[in-house]
Formats: sequence, structure tokens, C-alpha cells
Amino acid sequence: MSEKTRIYLQPWPIRIWHWINASGIIILILSGAQIRFPETLSIFTSYKSAIEVHNTAGIIVSISFSFWFFYYKMVKNTLDKLYIPDEEDIKHGLVRQLLYYCFWYFLGRPSPYHATPDHKFNPMQKSAYLAVMFVLMPLVGLTGILLLNVTPLRVLILMWGGIKFIVALHFLLACSLLAFLCTHVYLATLGDYIKPMLIGWEEVEEHAEAEAPTEVAIPGYRPVRHYPEYEQELLEQRHS
Amino acid sequence: MKSADLQKMSFLAKLALCAWAVAGLIAQANAWGFSYGDQSGNNQACLSCHGKTGEVPKGTFIDPQRFTQTAHANLGCEACHATVPANHPDGNKVPRADCRECHSGISEEYAKGLHASKTACNGCHNPHLVQNPKDVSGQEINMICSNCHNSLEMTAKHGEWLPQSELHLRMLPCITCHTGAKDYYISMYIVKSKGDSRYGKQEVAEYADLKAMAGGRPIVSLIDTNRDNYVSLEELRVFNRTQASLHLHGMMTPSTVSHKFEILDSRRNCSFCHTSGSGPMQTSFIAVPEADGSFLRVPVEKGAVLDALYAAPDFYMMGSTKNGKLNQIGLAIICCGLIMPVGHGFVRFLTRKNRKQKEHQS
Repeated sequence: MSEKTRIYLQPWPIRIWHWINASGIIILILSGAQIRFPETLSIFTSYKSAIEVHNTAGIIVSISFSFWFFYYKMVKNTLDKLYIPDEEDIKHGLVRQLLYYCFWYFLGRPSPYHATPDHKFNPMQKSAYLAVMFVLMPLVGLTGILLLNVTPLRVLILMWGGIKFIVALHFLLACSLLAFLCTHVYLATLGDYIKPMLIGWEEVEEHAEAEAPTEVAIPGYRPVRHYPEYEQELLEQRHS
Repeated sequence: MKSADLQKMSFLAKLALCAWAVAGLIAQANAWGFSYGDQSGNNQACLSCHGKTGEVPKGTFIDPQRFTQTAHANLGCEACHATVPANHPDGNKVPRADCRECHSGISEEYAKGLHASKTACNGCHNPHLVQNPKDVSGQEINMICSNCHNSLEMTAKHGEWLPQSELHLRMLPCITCHTGAKDYYISMYIVKSKGDSRYGKQEVAEYADLKAMAGGRPIVSLIDTNRDNYVSLEELRVFNRTQASLHLHGMMTPSTVSHKFEILDSRRNCSFCHTSGSGPMQTSFIAVPEADGSFLRVPVEKGAVLDALYAAPDFYMMGSTKNGKLNQIGLAIICCGLIMPVGHGFVRFLTRKNRKQKEHQS
């Protein structure tokens, strides 16, 4: 029989940040679409209100993004560990996770990755979030800030290649974020990922259960990654 | 009537005609002294004094170079200053025409507007410098407005309802919104950065500077390299790549100007300008400065404003100047993002039994 363990995966500041970010980005996509296609879309009644909503949401998301960075980097000091793939992730983790998504999932096998508070993301998530949180989000935010202050930041705009280039970059980055969002939301439905983002806790099965040999040995398949230090912590918690 | 009487009357009539002609000639001779008689625009006699700063009072100086390019010069001085006295200059003011005599339609329209109670035609227009709106840069138009309307106050006032008011006021001549114009085009002015630094303050490049840059050739050849009086996208591309200190600064200009200068509610609706694909927005010209202070408008290949990389790099109007190719790339990116959910979701649906069995077994 499998035994369930509860892990506090998502601390409350991150949950608040996540949902502010999520709603902000959705509003940004909708208002941004109206700004680009004013003749076909009228989501926020007038064009002017779409601009105001877009600007406000952009500022809120930028602040919340800075908060996320500050929280993980300064408060928890786990930013690098969480978001930068390590050697093991690059060598085996990525392929293993890709195989899981492409084949093993359909065969009903468990995920080869098990989330812990310090290692919340599987290697594919890590790589995707690395690109999204360290490249896409900062760039879309910076180009947005430039477009919001065209007159005072004229020199910076020129250094970046002119207003047309920045508008094009902002638009393409936003499209990339939307593309990521589709995949992100879909992948959240593959497992029990939405609940921890709402309440913080995730119920996981004991490692012993997950470590059970698979029926068919697939080359390169290693069921669950081990985190001895975390297992020790869990054991201590249980005994206390 | 007898034939003798008829001959007598005819003689008297001829005499009267001669007397009138001689009187006319004498009068004309006096007038020739001021040369307003030759309506072909031979204004030289007037300009021989009024074209020199030292000769006449400051207010009556007329820049001969700029005046000769105006439509008024073609009419001749006499057309407006018909009854200059023979003893001119006698210290008295020279009579001048009422603008309404020729521009009655505009005068009537102007009288209905907000400006009528504040100033007359000459409050904005110097009759010796009048030019067609297309020959004047947007900055120059705004300079006329700023004689009365403080630009800082105006920016603040517009900012009460207009997002990015400073940017709007810098990129648009006031008359773009404050006239009943229906059609617009984009005028791209050649701007030069101060100190030849790319990041210095940009000002409309002056004729002399550009002429020197063109190396004796006409200024337009800086852009229109094949001199066919038409700028292709390729020529625009080459110009933007090769000119470091010169930039193209786009401005939206009305094609026709009405004179009521009213506050139009329709202009407060952002979609009036910011809708994509509107015809006039895609028509653009390069405004090349001329020696007389006017601008030569050279048409640019359609779609230049929409070109993301090679058109005026500092000109972009949300919505209306969006680039079709970029939209296609953006759509392709979004579609790539949908491959995973759609493809994976489909196989997931087909293999749902596998997972159910596993769950059951466990």
C-alpha cells in the first residue's frame, strides 16, 4: 500500500505572486491584443481604456516580478537551485522527462521526477522557466517600460534600435509568452499541480512506492530522482 | 442729327478719350515709382527697399527669397496694396487688402471658430510668408500655435484625458486634431541629431547642412538615389543604414485644413487614428527642405510606414502602423505553443484506458 505524505511545496508569498502574475498576464494579453487590433477587438470597451488597463497591468506584473526575484534570491536564497538546471538535469533529466511526456505518460507510468520544496521543477520545467523568467519576462517588461516612457527614455530606445524595433520585440515576446502559457496551463492538468498553487501543500506517495521496479525496463529510465538530504528531513519530521 | 454735329461729337469724344488716357498715363507714371503696377509678380521695386533690413522699419521687412515662393507674390504687391500713395513713403501706413476679399470662404469658417474672438488672420499667418500646409513642417506649424498656447500648459491640459500627451503633442501638428480634416498622410522629415551624436536632441535638418552633405547634388538624392522623384523601400533601407546622424521623423499631417480649429470629440476617440489598415496612414512622403524654407514632398513606396525595420525608425503608431509580417510570425509562435496541448492532449485522450488500468492496478 502506498503511503501519502504532505509536502509544503508553495509558500504563501509565491502563491500570491503566482496568481497576481497569472491574472496580470492574461489581462495584458487581452488588452495588448486590443491595442494591436483595435478594429476587430473591443474587450475593454474603448481603445483608451485598453491602453490604461495594459499600462496598469504591466506595472503590477513588473512589480510582482521584482518581488518574485527578491523573494527567491534574497529571502529564500534558492533562486539558482530552483531555476538553473544542474549537470544531472542536462545529462539525463531532460531526456528522461521528455521521454515521460512523449511516451511513458501515455503508458500510465509515474513521472520520473518528484517535487520537493527546494527542487520544485523537473528538468524540462527548469529549462522552460529559466528561459521564461530570466529572458522573456525581463525583456517583455523592459520593452514595455520603454514604450510606456517614450519621451524620457528616448536615448535608451535609440540604443535598443528605435521604437519600431522595440514594438516588434515587445509583440513577439508577448506572443512567445502566450505560447508558453498554453503549454504551461495544459501541463498543469497532467498532474496535481494546481492544488499546491492554491493551498501550498502537495500530497505525494512515499518514495519506496515510487522506487518499485517497473514492469518493463526501459533503457535510461530512472523512476524518481533522490534527494537524500530532503528524505532525511522528512524522516526527522515524521519522528518528531 | 446732322453729319457736321456728328463729326463734332466724335471729335470731342476722341479728345476726351485722349485726355483720360494722358491722365491715366501720368497717374501710372507716378505709380511706377513703387512698381506695384506689374501684376506678373515684378515686385522688385517694392522689394528693393522692403527686402533690405536696413532700409525699412523692422516690421515692414519682407524676406525676398521666401516671399517670391508664396502664392501671394505671384499676385503682385499691388493686389493687396492697391492704393499706395504717390508720395510713399510719407510716414503714413500703406493701405492693405482685407483677407476676406479673396478668402471669403475661409474667413466665414474662421469667424465661427474659437479663435475668431482672439485674433485675425495675421495672428497666425504672415501674408508675405504664407505657404501650403504641405510645405511647412509640423514643428513650424506648432511654433505658430505656441505663440499663444504655452506648450507646457497644453501638455498638462491634454494629459487630463490623453495618454502619453507629451508624445502626442510632439508627434502631431496641433491642426491634425483641431481641424475637420478627413484624410491624413505621414510626412517624414529628415532630422539631425545635435552634435552629430545619435542620441542628441533631434531637430529638423536645415537646408544648408543637408546641401553640404549631398555634396552639391540636390538634397533629395541623399534618399532618392536614382532621382526618379520616388522613394522605394530599397532606397529607404539604404538611407537608414548609411546615415548615422540623420533620421526620419514621421508626423501625421492632415491633407486639408479647415479653419474652425474646434475641439472635436471624434479626435478624442483614440480609434480615430489608432486603427490599422486605414488608407491615409499608409501614404507617406519624405519632406525635403528647400532653399526657400519650404519642403519638397517626395512620395514613398506604399507600406513604408508599416515596414518594421527600414522605415522611419522613430515613428510608430500603435494599431495603424502595425506590420503584417510580424503578425504572421507572432501567430506562428502562438501556434507552436498550441502544438503541445493539442497534440499531447489528443494522444492523451486516445490512451486514457492505459492510465485507468494502471490506477486500478495500484
